[in-house]
Amino acid sequence: MYNKTILIKDTNINAEDRTKNYYSLVLNSLREFNLHNEVQVVRAADIGVYNHGVVIKILPDVIYQEVKETDIPRIVEATVKADKVLDDLVLKKEPKQQRIVLRNCGKIDPESLEEYLAAGGYQALKKVIFEMNPEKVLEEMKKSGLRGRGGAGYPTWMKWKFTRAVPADQKFVICNADEGDPGAYMDRSVLEGDPHSVLEGLMISAYTIGASKGYFYIRAEYPLAVERVKIALAQAYDAGLLGKNILGSEFSFDIDIRLGAGAFVCGEETALIASIEGKRGTPRPRPPYPSVKGLWNKPTAINNVETLANISPIIVRGGDWFASIGTATSKGTKVFAVTGKVKNSGLVEVPMGITIREIVFDICGGTISGKALKAIQTGGPSGGVIPAEFLDTPVDYENLQKLGSIMGSGGMIVMDEDDCLVDIAKFYLGFCVEESCGKCAPCRIGGYQMLQILNRITEGKGKLEDLAQLKRISFAMQKASLCGLGQTAANPVISTTRYFDYEYKEHILEKKCRSGKCSHLANYTIIQERCKKCGMCQKNCPAGAIPGSREEGYLIKQEKCVKCGQCFEVCKFKAIKKE
Amino acid sequence: MKKITREDLDKIAAKPVSPAVNYIRVGMSTCGIAAGADEVLATLIEEAKKRNIRIDIKKCGCVGMCFAEPLVEVAVEGLPPVIYGKVNKEIAAKIMEKHVAGKILVNEYIFDLKVKE
Repeated sequence: MYNKTILIKDTNINAEDRTKNYYSLVLNSLREFNLHNEVQVVRAADIGVYNHGVVIKILPDVIYQEVKETDIPRIVEATVKADKVLDDLVLKKEPKQQRIVLRNCGKIDPESLEEYLAAGGYQALKKVIFEMNPEKVLEEMKKSGLRGRGGAGYPTWMKWKFTRAVPADQKFVICNADEGDPGAYMDRSVLEGDPHSVLEGLMISAYTIGASKGYFYIRAEYPLAVERVKIALAQAYDAGLLGKNILGSEFSFDIDIRLGAGAFVCGEETALIASIEGKRGTPRPRPPYPSVKGLWNKPTAINNVETLANISPIIVRGGDWFASIGTATSKGTKVFAVTGKVKNSGLVEVPMGITIREIVFDICGGTISGKALKAIQTGGPSGGVIPAEFLDTPVDYENLQKLGSIMGSGGMIVMDEDDCLVDIAKFYLGFCVEESCGKCAPCRIGGYQMLQILNRITEGKGKLEDLAQLKRISFAMQKASLCGLGQTAANPVISTTRYFDYEYKEHILEKKCRSGKCSHLANYTIIQERCKKCGMCQKNCPAGAIPGSREEGYLIKQEKCVKCGQCFEVCKFKAIKKE
Repeated sequence: MKKITREDLDKIAAKPVSPAVNYIRVGMSTCGIAAGADEVLATLIEEAKKRNIRIDIKKCGCVGMCFAEPLVEVAVEGLPPVIYGKVNKEIAAKIMEKHVAGKILVNEYIFDLKVKE
């Protein structure tokens, strides 16, 4: 039986993989020291370190970077045999991630109440009911500095305090699980991986504000999350954690699930309330805020999934502990869904104040293509892009806002040189135009007009005046729209014109898209050496711009070409050049 | 199910948590299932039966390494707990045969990423 384990991985992605070579060298060296029966060597798929040459890790935690072949004997002699660490090679690596929200995700069975209890579940609820009172909970929440994780970043304790202060015969709490930003799925993962933690958070919020009824508002596109929340609710009712006289106390609380039909605007709190009431999901002007007049005109506290998952650790470990993590204005951690052109896409939970560079390069391993990073998109359709030169900005609510983006719910899309920022702006704006409920004119008409302009620009028909027009419409939408959707819909356009003005101008003046994304601006030609004369391009050309035959070959007539890109898409031999 | 009381919760809180040994967890969130975790879980259960191995095979949520789904965490006595990624049916069988039965880690599929608790 082995009593030691060594992991090996070559972390340079663009060079030849030397892992196997080193693997045999380490084995040989172990044999020389007669350790080969005690130590096992394993080639890892990912060792958590990137671009540091060959990395050798002696479990549990000694990591050596940039290991040369000649280093191997001394590593084996010193570290493997005598447990001494070689200071010149060692990579001191503090884990960058810190898990509060995702504390149980991937560790417990989400469909088992016993496992949640064993992991410390419902201790916070017990503490709140028997050892604290609502004022004390509010005080602890105030100390913690927790701000809403849904996007706007409103202090949670203030929301609870206002809802608590309004006298009413009935109050409600709602868990907003209508996560709709493209590329963001933190809430889904939490509900699927640890539904009881959200449930417990919701119960504590209900206890604090004095609500007797709660709702989970989950989008129907998340069937597994819905199923797991249903199971969790049934278990909680069975165990007496929900219903009348919870844990034998005076506190009674019921929860129901409501499914959203997939409208993006229903994540907005007043639209969400309308949707639960059975009405059409459109927002209404605020004030009155839901904390005064919410569901069925009763005081209502609406919190995001991630916010609620933060509650129990704050209660158990104290507000001061939570406030010790993060920056001056943004406390705790944030879960990001890092997607796009990144090597390790997935969820990361990091303390506030970490830089974007650390998230993308140290945790997620950089871009998947190895090409230079161009920009990061955060905050979904309400957010903006952050260009590569601001990668060292510490992430918190204020800093991202200063850069023209927002924290949002936590989507983070990585873009490299192959992405066209005009195209990105068009995509996000198109999303908002599609999802606009149509109630107010600035959003309904403004969004559509802006999209028309962006379409023109990407088709090479843009004018310089268009840029000024985009700015004017953006301003009107920001100022005059009814809800957050319209007020922020122009943000992707504003931030891309701010940082990538030159790309817009290239599209307009030079009719050129440097990334090649905008197919209308490209020139298509056939590379004759690669062409196999199959005729697919001719068959698919809608404009009849490709004359020729299977014997003589084909040619694209530029004056007839409508630049749809069909020939480029269908050519199996990559014989069509796009430039 | 029996109703949970305040005293029950006190008891759980007082009991020290012993680190679990001998378990396999398969990430069964949407990301895992989309990548084929269903099949992996079924294979693991079947292989364990075939080899008459007694090990707790459970499902869990997503640990965040969605790029490497399906993920299988294996902890057996005498070996450090590891997470295997991009597991398919063949690798699942290999994990049972080599790691669980033979106590040798499987090459090329370990994803070793650390987070602070």
